[in-house]
Amino acid sequence: MNKRRSVSAALAATALMAPVLFGQDGRQIIAESQRRTRSKSQRYEGALQVMDAKRHVSAKRWNFIRLGSFGDSKSLLRFTEPPEVRGVALLIYNHPDRASDQWMWRPEIGRDQRIALQDRSTRFFGTDFSFEDLEERDVNQFDYKVLGDEAVDGAKCWKIDSTPKQSKSSQYTHSLLWIRQDNYVLARLEGYGRNGLARRVLYRDLQNVQGVWTARTIEVFDARKNSRTILTLDKLEYNVPLSESDFTLQALRRGS
Amino acid sequence: MRGLFAAALALTSALAQTFSGRGFMESDSTFYPQTAVNDSSHAVSEMHLRYEASWQPRSWIKLAGALDARTDTHRQTERAWRMDFDDRSALRPPLSARRFSLVLARGGLTLEAGRQFIRWGKTDILNPTDRFAPKDFVNVVSTDFLGVNAARLTYERGGDTIDLVWQPWFTPSRTPLLNQRWTAAPADAAAISIRDNGARYPGRSQFGVRWNHIARGYEYSLCYFDGFNHLPLFAAERGQPALTVAVQRYYPQLRLVGGDGAFPTRWVTIKGEAAYFATTRQQSDEYLLYVVQFERQQGEWSWVGGYAGETITKAAGKPLQFSPEQGLARAILGRASYRIGPSQDAAIEGAVRQNGDGLWLRFEFSQAWGRHWRATLQWVLIRGDASDFIGQYRRNSYAQVRIRYSF
Repeated sequence: MNKRRSVSAALAATALMAPVLFGQDGRQIIAESQRRTRSKSQRYEGALQVMDAKRHVSAKRWNFIRLGSFGDSKSLLRFTEPPEVRGVALLIYNHPDRASDQWMWRPEIGRDQRIALQDRSTRFFGTDFSFEDLEERDVNQFDYKVLGDEAVDGAKCWKIDSTPKQSKSSQYTHSLLWIRQDNYVLARLEGYGRNGLARRVLYRDLQNVQGVWTARTIEVFDARKNSRTILTLDKLEYNVPLSESDFTLQALRRGS
Repeated sequence: MRGLFAAALALTSALAQTFSGRGFMESDSTFYPQTAVNDSSHAVSEMHLRYEASWQPRSWIKLAGALDARTDTHRQTERAWRMDFDDRSALRPPLSARRFSLVLARGGLTLEAGRQFIRWGKTDILNPTDRFAPKDFVNVVSTDFLGVNAARLTYERGGDTIDLVWQPWFTPSRTPLLNQRWTAAPADAAAISIRDNGARYPGRSQFGVRWNHIARGYEYSLCYFDGFNHLPLFAAERGQPALTVAVQRYYPQLRLVGGDGAFPTRWVTIKGEAAYFATTRQQSDEYLLYVVQFERQQGEWSWVGGYAGETITKAAGKPLQFSPEQGLARAILGRASYRIGPSQDAAIEGAVRQNGDGLWLRFEFSQAWGRHWRATLQWVLIRGDASDFIGQYRRNSYAQVRIRYSF
């Protein structure tokens, strides 16, 4: 009996440790990481601090809601600070098979404007996030290769090289991702362009929010501009009651 | 007493949760190197306060309001303090209710009634289908939209949106003041005095319907409008004493069918908008006005360039009119802006008529300080022939300093 129990335990442990013992499949790790952060909806208040190369700091705040997740979702982001951009909003429809549709609402012109980003390296409203950085990654649009183990902030991580497939247009020729081995949370991301490191993103202050391990602080470093942006997620909630009608052009207009 | 206090506290708390506001205080100083035939001034200063607020006690109901307060050194704003609700005056009102509306929403249905802003169209440099959007043209090249008193019912389902608008009370565009430089008087008319005889406003309401469809990767819309042009024609008659001309504004009946579309491609986003303007009045043209524009964002750069065209199908001679829309047609228009840093922006935009008779260029640099302050420097260059809509303002090139405190 004891022997059978020991074998069962060993098998279970082997199944759990399979990626570690038998050479990790990068795609599986990323897919598992995304599965664990999947939620029906999300809401938070974002506080941004943008520091340019001369260390001048500007602050911004936004309210963010999302319905759906990973490649098939709708998001609405509305600025609340500083006063001159209060009410400016962005509605994003993410599609699994094509580029997202995006509309911007600017109160001073009172009209939604369709925006299309031919170059998704464009910085998002003067922050160090590019529009591409804010998109959700579709796991199928990249090839992955596990490079080994490496610690980030003391936590053991898988270091994975991610290369966009030919069909995927990206500002990054490849990215390095560090995924924590204890909870599959993305701890660090480095995006590389033709001239080397373009952006480094650090995910900090991990908290388990309603069963989802989430980085409450995200720091982006733009290597070309030597500037950084820190995004803090306040009042974060998952699976909040949101409906499709909260993500329409009318909702974009009504909220102004 | 304790109960009353608790109720007041609860009400205050509820209001705080559902009330939002924003505004700015702005000072503009404009410097004109040249005088005009009817305007000897070289500098104009303006002060402008705007406050917008909304209160949303429930998710389905919202009250929105906005107030403007203005004054200036050049008598563009009335001096007698009064609250204005329809923006029909020749001078800018010192206090005006820019917006005051009730918004009700249920599922895909939204009703907004009251003073509001209704914008149609997709292009950015000229909007032929934007018929419920009169503007303040006291400075022809630096305009601001005026609200309209209307009811707007919108139904959105999936990728389709139907927009029904009924405007019972007409709001015209505010035209340049007759005794100031943006009414370009010919040099040989310096001795003639022009008297404003007011306006004749339409006696009936306006109506419009628009259908917008978001398809897979692109979108388009079709619209119909039955009402009046918010840009006036002028009836002129010889007045008393001699060398006086009395001018009265009136607004021709207008029926319009139009459409617009936005088509993102790998390299550029193509946006187009066209409208056919028909009228029963003999005095105004019937014509097709269209815009094709190309947009691209690249790094910190944003580019917009395009062409505005016009085809007149029925000419009405040469009516005395103020029509910036037609005045900007048959022109190449463009704008390039660059984000220098988190708090600095620069832009250049311009229009050049295809026959070369008119050129307008605007350079802008703006810098923000902290959370509230922004300074904007502008230089506007206008060149051209006196017979051209843009060229007639060739003595109105200017430099401007704008300081804004947002709150």
